[in-house]
Amino acid sequence: MLTKIHHVGVVVHNADEAMKFYRDALGLKVTADRVIEDQGVRGVLLEIGGSEIELLEPTREDTGVAKFLATRGEGMHHICFESDDVDAELDGARAKGIELIDQKPRLGLAGMICFLHPKSNHGVLVEFATPVKDGHGH
Amino acid sequence: MAIGATHIDHIVISSNNSGAVAQTFADNLGIEIKRKMIRPGTSAQLAFAKLQEVVLEFAGPPQVNPDEEVKAKLWGMVLAVEDIDAAVADLRSKGYTVGDPTKAVQPGAKIATVKGGTSGVPFAMIQYNALPIEGASA
Repeated sequence: MLTKIHHVGVVVHNADEAMKFYRDALGLKVTADRVIEDQGVRGVLLEIGGSEIELLEPTREDTGVAKFLATRGEGMHHICFESDDVDAELDGARAKGIELIDQKPRLGLAGMICFLHPKSNHGVLVEFATPVKDGHGH
Repeated sequence: MAIGATHIDHIVISSNNSGAVAQTFADNLGIEIKRKMIRPGTSAQLAFAKLQEVVLEFAGPPQVNPDEEVKAKLWGMVLAVEDIDAAVADLRSKGYTVGDPTKAVQPGAKIATVKGGTSGVPFAMIQYNALPIEGASA
């Protein structure tokens, strides 16, 4: 069962520049900031209430995030729903015939994560996440 | 000083058919669409779901073309703040262009839009209980 909005992903050219607004001006606390090598992105999570804003800066040109930035520019990229059991969510989506990007959950900035294909939701990229106990998949 | 943001109040998903997109989210993700309405003034068709403190707002045009492919995208977000006048003054003091707070669609609420500097995200702040609710007894 999806319990809440875990985060919204925002693709940016430069996370340091973006943090001038989200961290410095809004006063949001950074809870994670690291490069995810296999995805070719630097991800920064900023806490806001029970959810987070995730800034995504591409570190390579051959990634989906880099292509999004090149074609659409900066802006909202995906929405992540938190679940107690990301495996069950993925199995449930598969059973409904929903097209998937990830066939099984993998470790991401938000914990164990998986993405549904945006075609399944009229173009909106949806992520499921189950946070891991030591926080943010570290 | 921070702006006193308490949580993400709502995330807007824009489309050419808000009813269809909301129904897809309901079917695929199991979220409940709690309310539908026509926005006063623009006649935009809106549908709403809520997960804990965050509202998903599905927004679309008044008229739907049934022959058109349904397309949606994550559009913008609104943060709830404790004192919108103070939040607006704070962001302006930091060099951001922020519109004057105006009466929001939500009863008793005031909303202000940040114009630029948000990494491509249409961005606003909302304060509930900022105005007397019309029709309510004192």
